[in-house]
Amino acid sequence: MVTAAEARTGSTEQTLIIDLPFPAEEGLGPFTRADLVFTGVDHSGSSYEVRLFLNNPAATASTPRTAEHGYAGRFTVFGHGGCYGDEGHCEVPARSADPTDLRLAHPLTPLDTYVTITDALRRVLDHGGALQTVTLVPVSITPRRADRRPAPDLLHFADVSLRAYLTSTEADAGPAGR
Amino acid sequence: MRIRKSVSTLSAVELTDIQDAFAAAYDLHDDRGYAHYAGLHGLPLPAYCQHGTLLFLPWHRAYLYFFEKALTDALRRAHDDQHTTVSVPWWDWTSSAAHRDGLPAGYLAHPDGKPNPLAAGPVTLGDGDLAGVRENLPGAITGGPSPVTTRDPEDPDELPRTGTVARALKAPTFSTFSTLLEGIHNGVHGWVGGAMSAVPIAAYDPVFWAHHAMIDRLWYLWQISPNGASPPASLLDQALAPWPVTVRQVLDISKLDYEYAAQVIG
Repeated sequence: MVTAAEARTGSTEQTLIIDLPFPAEEGLGPFTRADLVFTGVDHSGSSYEVRLFLNNPAATASTPRTAEHGYAGRFTVFGHGGCYGDEGHCEVPARSADPTDLRLAHPLTPLDTYVTITDALRRVLDHGGALQTVTLVPVSITPRRADRRPAPDLLHFADVSLRAYLTSTEADAGPAGR
Repeated sequence: MRIRKSVSTLSAVELTDIQDAFAAAYDLHDDRGYAHYAGLHGLPLPAYCQHGTLLFLPWHRAYLYFFEKALTDALRRAHDDQHTTVSVPWWDWTSSAAHRDGLPAGYLAHPDGKPNPLAAGPVTLGDGDLAGVRENLPGAITGGPSPVTTRDPEDPDELPRTGTVARALKAPTFSTFSTLLEGIHNGVHGWVGGAMSAVPIAAYDPVFWAHHAMIDRLWYLWQISPNGASPPASLLDQALAPWPVTVRQVLDISKLDYEYAAQVIG
Protein backbone atom coordinates (compact mmCIF):
# COMPACT_ATOMS: atom_id res chain seq x y z
CA MET A 1 0.00 0.00 0.00
CA VAL A 2 1.30 3.43 -0.93
CA THR A 3 -0.23 6.50 0.62
CA ALA A 4 -1.02 9.56 -1.45
CA ALA A 5 1.56 11.46 0.55
CA GLU A 6 4.26 9.16 -0.82
CA ALA A 7 3.38 9.95 -4.44
CA ARG A 8 5.81 12.01 -6.49
CA THR A 9 4.70 14.86 -8.71
CA GLY A 10 5.37 14.36 -12.40
CA SER A 11 7.56 16.71 -14.39
CA THR A 12 4.56 18.73 -15.57
CA GLU A 13 3.23 18.97 -12.01
CA GLN A 14 -0.08 17.74 -13.42
CA THR A 15 0.38 14.04 -12.66
CA LEU A 16 1.26 11.82 -9.73
CA ILE A 17 3.81 9.03 -9.90
CA ILE A 18 3.47 6.08 -7.56
CA ASP A 19 6.42 3.78 -6.93
CA LEU A 20 4.82 0.36 -6.90
CA PRO A 21 7.42 -2.36 -7.63
CA PHE A 22 5.95 -5.64 -8.84
CA PRO A 23 6.94 -8.42 -8.46
CA ALA A 24 7.87 -7.66 -4.90
CA GLU A 25 11.06 -8.93 -3.30
CA GLU A 26 9.58 -12.36 -2.62
CA GLY A 27 9.25 -12.95 -6.37
CA LEU A 28 6.48 -13.38 -8.86
CA GLY A 29 3.69 -15.76 -7.96
CA PRO A 30 0.95 -16.91 -10.28
CA PHE A 31 -2.02 -14.61 -10.70
CA THR A 32 -5.07 -14.39 -12.93
CA ARG A 33 -6.20 -10.88 -12.12
CA ALA A 34 -4.53 -7.71 -10.94
CA ASP A 35 -6.31 -4.64 -9.63
CA LEU A 36 -5.14 -1.19 -8.69
CA VAL A 37 -7.23 -0.39 -5.64
CA PHE A 38 -7.74 3.19 -4.53
CA THR A 39 -9.22 4.07 -1.16
CA GLY A 40 -10.49 7.36 0.19
CA VAL A 41 -11.15 8.93 -3.21
CA ASP A 42 -12.68 12.41 -3.00
CA HIS A 43 -15.81 13.12 -5.04
CA SER A 44 -16.91 16.44 -3.62
CA GLY A 45 -15.82 18.65 -6.51
CA SER A 46 -16.17 18.51 -10.29
CA SER A 47 -16.25 15.16 -12.03
CA TYR A 48 -12.92 13.87 -13.27
CA GLU A 49 -11.22 10.81 -14.63
CA VAL A 50 -7.87 9.32 -13.70
CA ARG A 51 -5.89 7.65 -16.47
CA LEU A 52 -3.36 5.05 -15.37
CA PHE A 53 -0.07 4.38 -17.13
CA LEU A 54 2.43 1.68 -16.16
CA ASN A 55 6.16 2.42 -16.31
CA ASN A 56 5.55 5.71 -18.10
CA PRO A 57 6.38 8.50 -15.63
CA ALA A 58 6.34 11.04 -18.47
CA ALA A 59 2.67 10.37 -19.27
CA THR A 60 0.43 13.42 -19.41
CA ALA A 61 -3.14 14.23 -20.39
CA SER A 62 -2.08 14.24 -24.04
CA THR A 63 -0.46 10.80 -23.93
CA PRO A 64 -2.38 8.36 -26.15
CA ARG A 65 -4.37 5.75 -24.25
CA THR A 66 -2.64 2.84 -25.93
CA ALA A 67 -0.74 -0.23 -24.83
CA GLU A 68 2.46 1.14 -26.37
CA HIS A 69 2.35 3.98 -23.87
CA GLY A 70 1.65 1.74 -20.91
CA TYR A 71 -2.01 2.68 -20.65
CA ALA A 72 -3.74 0.36 -18.20
CA GLY A 73 -7.25 1.81 -17.83
CA ARG A 74 -9.02 4.65 -16.08
CA PHE A 75 -11.66 5.35 -13.51
CA THR A 76 -14.20 8.15 -13.54
CA VAL A 77 -15.39 10.02 -10.48
CA PHE A 78 -18.94 11.43 -10.67
CA GLY A 79 -18.50 14.62 -8.69
CA HIS A 80 -20.86 16.55 -6.47
CA GLY A 81 -19.72 19.82 -8.03
CA GLY A 82 -19.03 21.85 -4.92
CA CYS A 83 -20.94 22.60 -1.76
CA TYR A 84 -24.43 24.10 -1.94
CA GLY A 85 -25.17 24.12 1.78
CA ASP A 86 -24.23 26.50 4.54
CA GLU A 87 -20.88 26.47 6.28
CA GLY A 88 -20.05 22.98 7.52
CA HIS A 89 -22.67 21.21 5.42
CA CYS A 90 -20.11 19.39 3.31
CA GLU A 91 -17.69 18.52 6.08
CA VAL A 92 -17.70 14.75 6.38
CA PRO A 93 -18.05 13.69 10.01
CA ALA A 94 -16.31 10.64 11.42
CA ARG A 95 -18.52 7.56 11.45
CA SER A 96 -20.37 7.26 14.71
CA ALA A 97 -19.58 4.37 17.02
CA ASP A 98 -23.05 4.69 18.52
CA PRO A 99 -25.00 1.54 17.50
CA THR A 100 -28.26 3.45 17.72
CA ASP A 101 -27.09 5.98 15.14
CA LEU A 102 -28.85 4.65 12.05
CA ARG A 103 -27.98 7.52 9.74
CA LEU A 104 -26.38 6.67 6.42
CA ALA A 105 -22.84 7.72 5.75
CA HIS A 106 -22.40 11.36 4.71
CA PRO A 107 -22.89 11.62 0.92
CA LEU A 108 -19.39 12.99 0.49
CA THR A 109 -17.70 10.17 2.36
CA PRO A 110 -14.63 9.32 0.25
CA LEU A 111 -15.14 6.20 -1.84
CA ASP A 112 -13.07 3.17 -2.74
CA THR A 113 -12.71 1.94 -6.29
CA TYR A 114 -10.45 -0.20 -8.44
CA VAL A 115 -9.28 -0.69 -11.98
CA THR A 116 -8.41 -4.13 -13.29
CA ILE A 117 -5.05 -3.89 -15.03
CA THR A 118 -4.33 -7.56 -15.69
CA ASP A 119 -3.58 -7.24 -19.39
CA ALA A 120 -1.40 -4.16 -19.04
CA LEU A 121 0.57 -5.69 -16.18
CA ARG A 122 1.10 -8.90 -18.14
CA ARG A 123 2.48 -6.88 -21.05
CA VAL A 124 5.06 -5.40 -18.70
CA LEU A 125 6.00 -8.76 -17.22
CA ASP A 126 5.96 -10.67 -20.53
CA HIS A 127 8.73 -8.50 -21.85
CA GLY A 128 10.95 -9.60 -19.02
CA GLY A 129 10.42 -6.43 -17.12
CA ALA A 130 8.93 -5.45 -13.82
CA LEU A 131 6.46 -2.83 -12.81
CA GLN A 132 8.19 0.16 -11.30
CA THR A 133 5.75 3.04 -11.45
CA VAL A 134 2.11 3.86 -11.97
CA THR A 135 1.41 7.34 -13.27
CA LEU A 136 -1.94 8.88 -12.37
CA VAL A 137 -3.17 11.44 -14.90
CA PRO A 138 -6.26 13.27 -13.59
CA VAL A 139 -8.37 15.13 -16.16
CA SER A 140 -11.43 17.19 -15.28
CA ILE A 141 -14.83 16.29 -16.72
CA THR A 142 -16.46 19.67 -16.81
CA PRO A 143 -19.89 20.29 -18.37
CA ARG A 144 -18.21 21.85 -21.42
CA ARG A 145 -15.62 19.69 -23.18
CA ALA A 146 -13.67 22.80 -24.10
CA ASP A 147 -13.04 23.46 -20.39
CA ARG A 148 -11.51 20.05 -19.66
CA ARG A 149 -8.00 20.26 -18.35
CA PRO A 150 -5.35 18.32 -16.45
CA ALA A 151 -6.74 18.48 -12.94
CA PRO A 152 -4.25 17.52 -10.23
CA ASP A 153 -6.26 19.67 -7.84
CA LEU A 154 -9.27 17.34 -8.07
CA LEU A 155 -7.51 14.06 -7.26
CA HIS A 156 -7.36 13.37 -3.54
CA PHE A 157 -7.16 9.85 -2.20
CA ALA A 158 -5.86 7.99 0.82
CA ASP A 159 -3.79 5.18 -0.67
CA VAL A 160 -3.33 2.86 -3.61
CA SER A 161 -2.30 -0.79 -3.73
CA LEU A 162 -1.76 -3.43 -6.36
CA ARG A 163 -3.66 -6.61 -5.63
CA ALA A 164 -2.96 -9.75 -7.61
CA TYR A 165 -5.45 -12.59 -7.37
CA LEU A 166 -5.28 -16.25 -8.28
CA THR A 167 -8.82 -17.25 -9.10
CA SER A 168 -10.55 -19.19 -11.79
CA THR A 169 -13.70 -17.21 -12.48
CA GLU A 170 -14.43 -15.98 -15.96
CA ALA A 171 -14.47 -12.45 -14.62
CA ASP A 172 -10.71 -12.59 -14.44
CA ALA A 173 -10.25 -13.33 -18.10
CA GLY A 174 -12.04 -10.32 -19.58
CA PRO A 175 -10.47 -7.35 -21.34
CA ALA A 176 -9.44 -4.30 -19.41
CA GLY A 177 -11.99 -1.49 -19.22
CA ARG A 178 -11.61 1.43 -21.56
CA MET B 1 -46.79 -5.59 -15.98
CA ARG B 2 -45.01 -2.56 -17.41
CA ILE B 3 -42.51 -3.32 -20.18
CA ARG B 4 -39.35 -1.27 -20.48
CA LYS B 5 -37.98 -1.24 -24.00
CA SER B 6 -34.84 -0.10 -25.70
CA VAL B 7 -35.16 3.43 -27.06
CA SER B 8 -34.16 2.00 -30.43
CA THR B 9 -37.27 -0.18 -30.59
CA LEU B 10 -39.91 2.33 -29.48
CA SER B 11 -42.79 2.85 -31.88
CA ALA B 12 -43.68 6.39 -32.89
CA VAL B 13 -46.72 6.26 -30.59
CA GLU B 14 -44.64 5.04 -27.66
CA LEU B 15 -42.06 7.76 -28.16
CA THR B 16 -44.80 10.38 -28.38
CA ASP B 17 -46.31 9.09 -25.14
CA ILE B 18 -42.95 9.41 -23.38
CA GLN B 19 -42.50 12.92 -24.73
CA ASP B 20 -46.00 13.84 -23.62
CA ALA B 21 -45.40 12.34 -20.17
CA PHE B 22 -42.20 14.36 -19.66
CA ALA B 23 -43.89 17.54 -20.91
CA ALA B 24 -46.81 16.96 -18.53
CA ALA B 25 -44.43 16.32 -15.63
CA TYR B 26 -42.54 19.55 -16.44
CA ASP B 27 -45.82 21.44 -16.00
CA LEU B 28 -46.47 20.05 -12.52
CA HIS B 29 -44.74 22.21 -9.94
CA ASP B 30 -45.61 20.25 -6.81
CA ASP B 31 -44.38 16.92 -5.46
CA ARG B 32 -45.86 15.08 -8.45
CA GLY B 33 -43.79 17.00 -10.96
CA TYR B 34 -40.47 16.64 -12.74
CA ALA B 35 -38.60 19.20 -10.69
CA HIS B 36 -39.46 17.36 -7.49
CA TYR B 37 -38.09 14.06 -8.77
CA ALA B 38 -35.01 15.54 -10.44
CA GLY B 39 -34.26 17.50 -7.29
CA LEU B 40 -34.18 14.42 -5.08
CA HIS B 41 -30.94 13.40 -6.79
CA GLY B 42 -29.12 16.61 -5.95
CA LEU B 43 -30.38 20.15 -5.82
CA PRO B 44 -32.25 21.54 -4.05
CA LEU B 45 -30.85 20.01 -0.88
CA PRO B 46 -31.16 17.54 0.68
CA ALA B 47 -29.64 15.18 -1.87
CA TYR B 48 -30.75 11.59 -1.38
CA CYS B 49 -28.83 9.82 -4.14
CA GLN B 50 -26.38 7.07 -3.27
CA HIS B 51 -23.02 6.93 -5.02
CA GLY B 52 -19.84 5.15 -4.08
CA THR B 53 -21.71 2.80 -1.76
CA LEU B 54 -23.41 -0.56 -2.16
CA LEU B 55 -26.75 1.25 -2.09
CA PHE B 56 -26.04 2.71 -5.54
CA LEU B 57 -27.99 0.09 -7.48
CA PRO B 58 -30.97 -0.43 -5.15
CA TRP B 59 -31.43 3.29 -4.51
CA HIS B 60 -31.53 4.12 -8.21
CA ARG B 61 -33.90 1.19 -8.89
CA ALA B 62 -36.34 2.67 -6.39
CA TYR B 63 -35.79 6.11 -7.93
CA LEU B 64 -36.77 4.91 -11.41
CA TYR B 65 -39.71 2.93 -10.06
CA PHE B 66 -41.33 5.91 -8.36
CA PHE B 67 -40.44 8.31 -11.17
CA GLU B 68 -42.02 5.97 -13.69
CA LYS B 69 -45.23 5.99 -11.67
CA ALA B 70 -45.15 9.80 -11.58
CA LEU B 71 -44.68 9.89 -15.36
CA THR B 72 -47.69 7.64 -15.84
CA ASP B 73 -49.80 9.81 -13.53
CA ALA B 74 -48.77 12.90 -15.46
CA LEU B 75 -49.55 11.27 -18.81
CA ARG B 76 -52.96 10.07 -17.63
CA ARG B 77 -53.82 13.59 -16.57
CA ALA B 78 -52.55 15.07 -19.82
CA HIS B 79 -54.35 12.55 -22.01
CA ASP B 80 -57.42 12.32 -19.76
CA ASP B 81 -57.04 8.55 -19.91
CA GLN B 82 -56.82 6.63 -16.65
CA HIS B 83 -55.66 3.44 -18.33
CA THR B 84 -52.62 4.60 -20.25
CA THR B 85 -49.17 3.75 -18.92
CA VAL B 86 -45.68 4.76 -19.84
CA SER B 87 -42.34 3.06 -19.13
CA VAL B 88 -38.87 4.52 -19.03
CA PRO B 89 -36.91 3.18 -22.01
CA TRP B 90 -33.27 2.16 -21.74
CA TRP B 91 -30.45 3.61 -23.79
CA ASP B 92 -28.00 0.89 -24.81
CA TRP B 93 -24.80 2.90 -25.08
CA THR B 94 -22.87 -0.25 -26.00
CA SER B 95 -24.84 -0.72 -29.24
CA SER B 96 -23.35 -0.17 -32.65
CA ALA B 97 -25.90 2.59 -33.21
CA ALA B 98 -24.75 4.41 -30.08
CA HIS B 99 -21.09 4.03 -31.07
CA ARG B 100 -21.95 5.53 -34.46
CA ASP B 101 -24.52 8.19 -33.56
CA GLY B 102 -24.08 8.87 -29.85
CA LEU B 103 -27.23 9.97 -28.08
CA PRO B 104 -30.47 8.29 -29.20
CA ALA B 105 -32.36 10.20 -31.89
CA GLY B 106 -35.49 10.46 -29.76
CA TYR B 107 -33.58 12.53 -27.22
CA LEU B 108 -32.21 15.07 -29.69
CA ALA B 109 -33.63 18.43 -30.67
CA HIS B 110 -35.76 18.29 -33.79
CA PRO B 111 -33.94 19.76 -36.82
CA ASP B 112 -37.10 21.67 -37.77
CA GLY B 113 -37.18 23.47 -34.43
CA LYS B 114 -40.25 21.62 -33.17
CA PRO B 115 -39.92 21.26 -29.35
CA ASN B 116 -38.77 17.89 -28.04
CA PRO B 117 -39.25 17.53 -24.27
CA LEU B 118 -36.57 14.83 -24.22
CA ALA B 119 -33.85 17.06 -25.66
CA ALA B 120 -33.45 19.16 -22.49
CA GLY B 121 -35.17 19.54 -19.14
CA PRO B 122 -36.11 22.68 -17.22
CA VAL B 123 -33.90 23.41 -14.22
CA THR B 124 -36.36 25.00 -11.83
CA LEU B 125 -34.10 25.89 -8.92
CA GLY B 126 -34.11 28.86 -6.61
CA ASP B 127 -31.87 31.83 -7.29
CA GLY B 128 -29.22 30.75 -4.77
CA ASP B 129 -28.85 27.25 -6.20
CA LEU B 130 -28.85 28.56 -9.78
CA ALA B 131 -26.06 30.96 -8.90
CA GLY B 132 -24.10 28.12 -7.31
CA VAL B 133 -24.54 25.88 -10.35
CA ARG B 134 -23.44 28.65 -12.68
CA GLU B 135 -20.38 29.35 -10.57
CA ASN B 136 -19.33 25.75 -9.88
CA LEU B 137 -20.47 24.10 -13.11
CA PRO B 138 -20.23 26.66 -15.91
CA GLY B 139 -21.99 25.54 -19.05
CA ALA B 140 -24.15 22.89 -17.35
CA ILE B 141 -27.34 24.89 -17.84
CA THR B 142 -28.40 27.63 -20.21
CA GLY B 143 -28.45 31.29 -19.21
CA GLY B 144 -31.43 33.42 -18.30
CA PRO B 145 -34.16 33.12 -15.70
CA SER B 146 -35.60 29.83 -17.04
CA PRO B 147 -32.58 27.64 -17.71
CA VAL B 148 -32.63 24.19 -19.23
CA THR B 149 -30.04 21.44 -19.23
CA THR B 150 -27.22 21.34 -21.76
CA ARG B 151 -25.13 18.52 -23.24
CA ASP B 152 -21.70 18.36 -24.83
CA PRO B 153 -21.17 14.72 -25.78
CA GLU B 154 -17.81 13.20 -26.64
CA ASP B 155 -16.93 11.01 -29.62
CA PRO B 156 -19.59 8.25 -29.79
CA ASP B 157 -16.93 5.56 -29.95
CA GLU B 158 -15.77 6.58 -26.47
CA LEU B 159 -18.95 5.09 -24.98
CA PRO B 160 -18.54 1.84 -23.04
CA ARG B 161 -18.06 -1.26 -25.17
CA THR B 162 -19.90 -4.56 -24.97
CA GLY B 163 -16.73 -6.27 -23.73
CA THR B 164 -16.51 -3.92 -20.76
CA VAL B 165 -20.12 -4.62 -19.82
CA ALA B 166 -19.66 -8.36 -20.42
CA ARG B 167 -16.79 -8.39 -17.97
CA ALA B 168 -18.92 -6.64 -15.35
CA LEU B 169 -21.71 -9.17 -15.90
CA LYS B 170 -19.29 -11.93 -14.94
CA ALA B 171 -18.47 -10.33 -11.61
CA PRO B 172 -18.57 -12.94 -8.87
CA THR B 173 -19.95 -10.82 -6.03
CA PHE B 174 -22.48 -8.03 -5.61
CA SER B 175 -19.78 -5.73 -4.31
CA THR B 176 -17.56 -6.32 -7.33
CA PHE B 177 -20.45 -5.96 -9.75
CA SER B 178 -21.74 -2.78 -8.14
CA THR B 179 -18.32 -1.13 -8.19
CA LEU B 180 -17.68 -2.10 -11.82
CA LEU B 181 -21.11 -1.01 -13.02
CA GLU B 182 -21.00 2.26 -11.11
CA GLY B 183 -17.67 3.03 -12.75
CA ILE B 184 -19.15 2.41 -16.19
CA HIS B 185 -22.13 4.55 -15.20
CA ASN B 186 -19.85 7.40 -14.14
CA GLY B 187 -18.13 7.35 -17.50
CA VAL B 188 -21.41 7.75 -19.40
CA HIS B 189 -22.40 10.70 -17.23
CA GLY B 190 -19.13 12.35 -18.19
CA TRP B 191 -19.51 11.36 -21.83
CA VAL B 192 -22.86 13.18 -22.13
CA GLY B 193 -21.39 16.27 -20.48
CA GLY B 194 -23.45 19.33 -19.62
CA ALA B 195 -25.83 18.82 -16.72
CA MET B 196 -25.29 15.06 -16.79
CA SER B 197 -21.66 15.51 -15.77
CA ALA B 198 -22.41 16.55 -12.20
CA VAL B 199 -24.45 14.94 -9.42
CA PRO B 200 -26.45 18.02 -8.33
CA ILE B 201 -28.29 18.56 -11.62
CA ALA B 202 -27.78 15.36 -13.63
CA ALA B 203 -31.37 14.15 -13.14
CA TYR B 204 -32.77 17.31 -14.73
CA ASP B 205 -31.59 15.98 -18.12
CA PRO B 206 -34.26 13.61 -19.53
CA VAL B 207 -31.60 11.24 -20.84
CA PHE B 208 -30.59 10.58 -17.21
CA TRP B 209 -33.56 8.22 -16.90
CA ALA B 210 -32.77 6.27 -20.06
CA HIS B 211 -29.17 5.93 -18.88
CA HIS B 212 -30.26 4.65 -15.48
CA ALA B 213 -32.78 2.28 -17.03
CA MET B 214 -29.79 0.76 -18.84
CA ILE B 215 -27.90 0.49 -15.55
CA ASP B 216 -30.91 -1.07 -13.84
CA ARG B 217 -31.36 -3.49 -16.73
CA LEU B 218 -27.74 -4.58 -16.49
CA TRP B 219 -28.19 -5.20 -12.77
CA TYR B 220 -31.28 -7.29 -13.60
CA LEU B 221 -29.31 -9.25 -16.22
CA TRP B 222 -26.57 -9.92 -13.66
CA GLN B 223 -29.17 -10.95 -11.07
CA ILE B 224 -30.59 -13.65 -13.34
CA SER B 225 -27.14 -14.80 -14.50
CA PRO B 226 -25.30 -17.68 -12.81
CA ASN B 227 -23.17 -15.09 -10.99
CA GLY B 228 -26.12 -13.12 -9.64
CA ALA B 229 -26.27 -12.71 -5.89
CA SER B 230 -27.97 -10.63 -3.26
CA PRO B 231 -26.36 -7.63 -1.63
CA PRO B 232 -24.80 -8.29 1.78
CA ALA B 233 -27.38 -9.39 4.36
CA SER B 234 -26.59 -6.36 6.49
CA LEU B 235 -27.97 -4.12 3.73
CA LEU B 236 -31.22 -5.93 2.97
CA ASP B 237 -33.37 -4.09 5.49
CA GLN B 238 -31.76 -0.72 4.84
CA ALA B 239 -34.36 1.91 3.95
CA LEU B 240 -33.85 3.74 0.66
CA ALA B 241 -34.90 7.23 1.71
CA PRO B 242 -36.96 9.06 0.68
CA TRP B 243 -38.67 6.04 -0.84
CA PRO B 244 -40.80 3.90 1.49
CA VAL B 245 -38.97 0.73 0.52
CA THR B 246 -35.97 -1.28 1.66
CA VAL B 247 -33.19 -2.87 -0.36
CA ARG B 248 -34.89 -6.24 0.00
CA GLN B 249 -38.10 -4.87 -1.52
CA VAL B 250 -36.44 -3.79 -4.77
CA LEU B 251 -34.42 -6.91 -5.48
CA ASP B 252 -37.09 -8.70 -7.53
CA ILE B 253 -38.35 -6.53 -10.39
CA SER B 254 -41.32 -8.81 -10.99
CA LYS B 255 -42.61 -7.67 -7.60
CA LEU B 256 -42.22 -4.09 -8.81
CA ASP B 257 -44.42 -4.94 -11.78
CA TYR B 258 -42.02 -4.22 -14.60
CA GLU B 259 -39.90 -6.22 -16.99
CA TYR B 260 -37.17 -5.58 -19.55
CA ALA B 261 -38.16 -6.73 -23.02
CA ALA B 262 -35.60 -7.81 -25.56
CA GLN B 263 -38.26 -7.69 -28.26
CA VAL B 264 -41.98 -6.99 -28.42
CA ILE B 265 -43.99 -7.81 -31.54
CA GLY B 266 -47.60 -6.84 -32.05
